[in-house]
Amino acid sequence: MARDLAIDLGTANTLVYMKGKGIVLNEPSVIALNRQTGEVLATGREAWQMIGRTPGYIVAVRPLRGGAITDFEITERMIRLLLQRVGVSRFTRPKVVICVPSAITEVERRAVTDAARRAGAADAQLIEQPMAAAIGADLPIDEPVGNMVIDIGGGTSETAVISLGGIVALEAVRVGSFDIDASIQAYVRREHGIAIGERTAEEVKVAIGSAAVTDDESQAEVRGRDLMTGLPKTVVLTPEEIRFAIDDVVSSIIASVVRCLAKAPPELAQDFLVRGMYLVGGGGLLRGLAQRIEKETQVPVRMSNMPLEAVVMGAGHCIEHYDALKGMFMGARR
Amino acid sequence: MPWVLAAIVAVAIVVVVFLAKRGPHQEPGVVNFRKHIDALSPEARREVMDRVRPTRDDSSNTDHGTGG
Repeated sequence: MARDLAIDLGTANTLVYMKGKGIVLNEPSVIALNRQTGEVLATGREAWQMIGRTPGYIVAVRPLRGGAITDFEITERMIRLLLQRVGVSRFTRPKVVICVPSAITEVERRAVTDAARRAGAADAQLIEQPMAAAIGADLPIDEPVGNMVIDIGGGTSETAVISLGGIVALEAVRVGSFDIDASIQAYVRREHGIAIGERTAEEVKVAIGSAAVTDDESQAEVRGRDLMTGLPKTVVLTPEEIRFAIDDVVSSIIASVVRCLAKAPPELAQDFLVRGMYLVGGGGLLRGLAQRIEKETQVPVRMSNMPLEAVVMGAGHCIEHYDALKGMFMGARR
Repeated sequence: MPWVLAAIVAVAIVVVVFLAKRGPHQEPGVVNFRKHIDALSPEARREVMDRVRPTRDDSSNTDHGTGG
């Protein structure tokens, strides 16, 4: 008998929680394929290391973009391999709860559940990421008080107001930390005339990226290919430059938080001033982001204790209490 | 005939006692909502939190970017 599973199928990373055991898998959502035969060559961490460094016949791709499945077949193969790695076989078919962006379309919803069922799940249910994040961030969502959670992932940013176990207000944008990386890539190409890969852009973001001025600022040396000469070239980037480069993306995330605040009923809105908003998701780790949101909304912002695991922990809790919480699943409310 | 009457009275007494002991009737909606809210309480969530915390400490060096 297979143990039931909760999956956070993120644009950047996929985490799997096994009922009664905890998190059993945490890997990048990347798959490497042989372009000619279509054979899977690697998944997860191993495939991630290949991004931008593969010979012509290998392609390392992220099958999810902006929280949506861009390639149904590849996603299905990735889910099947993930389930195999955690012990699911033809004879052991578990129930699976999958976290998805709240703005997912009906077609995408069906694509995810079909992919999970074909990959070996006996039953596949979906739960909105901000709801799972709020459960995983240990917010008192069972009480009649306003809990606000901002989940910034690789491809989507979602803000939700939750009270009494349900979503009261929700705002989502298909913008996330990969868009920050893309902005850095575009800026370096435009202003310094060099091309850098997405992994390098991500490293720059982690090293010196910030949404507001911070105390520990330093510069970063970046190596890429000169667009004019085609030769390798090194440039030095400053935190101010990166703040300028990513400002559009950061502003778009903050604007969605403001829209969500505006949608909240006044009785709950007053709670935020005391309790604050909680930031989860890897994108929330961007330096100065909490301070910038706090400054622009005048509402305190707190970082969740486990921002990267909060979503899968919330879904894991739903799989542990499947019968009591099945009313929360996306299909159950329609 | 007295046997049948005695049996009916006995069954009636058992039913009355059972109903009296059962307490007030609750709507299924109330029961389900209570279950739902109880399952979201911090106490109910403690188990998952405790299970994940040690995992996180072990895998704190697995950084593959800041995307979620």
